[in-house]
Amino acid sequence: MTNLAIAWSIARHSLVENYKNRFFGLFVIFAGVLIYASLLAGVMAVDEEARVITDLGLALMELVTLAYALMAAASAITREVETKTIYLVFSRPVPRPAYLAGKAAGLYATTALMLGVMALIQLSLIYFRGFATPPFYFKAVLFIWCSLLIITSVALFVSLFSTSIVSTVTISGILWTLGHFTSEARFLIARASGASAPLLKAVAYCIPNFQLFNARDLGSAGPAAVSPGFLAGYLLLWISVPYLFSLVLFRKREF
Amino acid sequence: MMTAARERVVSFSGVSKAYRRPGLLKTVEVPALRGLSLDLERGEIAGLLGLNGAGKTTIMKLMTGLLFPDAGSISVFGLPPSDVNAKKHIGFLPELPYFYPYSTASESLLYYAGLSGLKGPEARARVDAVIGKVGLRPHAGKKAAEFSKGMMQRLGVAQAVVHDPDLLILDEPVSGLDPLAIHEIRDLISDLNASNKTVFLSSHSISELEKVSDRVFIMVQGRLAKTVARADWESAQGGLEGIFVQTVKNP
Repeated sequence: MTNLAIAWSIARHSLVENYKNRFFGLFVIFAGVLIYASLLAGVMAVDEEARVITDLGLALMELVTLAYALMAAASAITREVETKTIYLVFSRPVPRPAYLAGKAAGLYATTALMLGVMALIQLSLIYFRGFATPPFYFKAVLFIWCSLLIITSVALFVSLFSTSIVSTVTISGILWTLGHFTSEARFLIARASGASAPLLKAVAYCIPNFQLFNARDLGSAGPAAVSPGFLAGYLLLWISVPYLFSLVLFRKREF
Repeated sequence: MMTAARERVVSFSGVSKAYRRPGLLKTVEVPALRGLSLDLERGEIAGLLGLNGAGKTTIMKLMTGLLFPDAGSISVFGLPPSDVNAKKHIGFLPELPYFYPYSTASESLLYYAGLSGLKGPEARARVDAVIGKVGLRPHAGKKAAEFSKGMMQRLGVAQAVVHDPDLLILDEPVSGLDPLAIHEIRDLISDLNASNKTVFLSSHSISELEKVSDRVFIMVQGRLAKTVARADWESAQGGLEGIFVQTVKNP
């Protein structure tokens, strides 16, 4: 069996276990209720109803899926170690890189599924109110998923050295927040002087720039246009670097 | 039980292993194995006896590549235990196995069969066969979360044998099982042994090891204190239990 086939098998199993977990359903129901509640805000917005429903719904989708993705990534490997199900995997011919790749891919697929279900709920509400699909909608959902891919990869890496699920979620949550202010942070760092300036610049590059994937603003002014090639490269970098660091930590780990 | 031709399947040579536990000011090393040397031969059933903390589970984890030795060398089918080509031939039942709660018994076994290299109809046929063998056929569609401890143990045995391994490593295989299940597991071990498979098992049940084993290794505080052959305990007064008690008291 090739490494790819093993990773595929682990990813598929991970996806199935994730969506069968009652937390997946609870998160989707919770998001569905919130998205439905966004109709109220839309009605109050009068002329801007379609925009408010869309923007608010997308923001809720992103936040709920983020919370789920962080919890799932933080516990994906930690729980397997705690429950010792990992013994049954690594006593088999499963290379560790394939296992890590499979676990990550399973999480990516789960977040895609969750976003897809929420998008269906939101689109049905938009149609129900008699509006057309906003032109940027699918791109916005895709960009939300891209930023979730990055934070999920980072959270999976953090979970390998973090002492608990809570600390993994906290560290990843802080990175997520900082990642939405990288432009502002770099502006301030550029004006910093003294010995700390190079260090601050280096730290700024260790935080993913989630503003690049903020497609919700495409409906109005929108972020500065960045080429799709750059975005794809940036995404690939922020998925592969945490994966490679994870491999280093995981390679000689004992169970 | 024991057959004539002998091929070394597992070899431990001067293996030591310590666990590092973080203390208040420095890391504390707790030795688990000290200079262990032992061999397992093809087609034998070897038992492992020892008090709690004697190093039994550590030996099994080293054999399956879940732990790495601090000193000495281990070879499994002539390869390091972490080599995937060695692991293809290993079936491992850990103590108190746990399964993914939302997968059914069949789904779990199909998953493990897939990870062991079985595909499609072959995997399904093997899963169907082992589910019957361990007596889980009526529960094949149940989720592991609904399983009792005994059913979990049966499922654990099933996942260990689903890919027809040449070396079966069983950590406390009869723990939590009812007498009928113990009897079935014993039959399963004998069946495997009849097809020239090597079985290495630990148990706190001396009588169980006495029934199935060709040789028994007695571990005391991380050291191999004694290797006892079937003929030895059959001729000894008090049997294997007598030898074990004597060895543990005067290692």
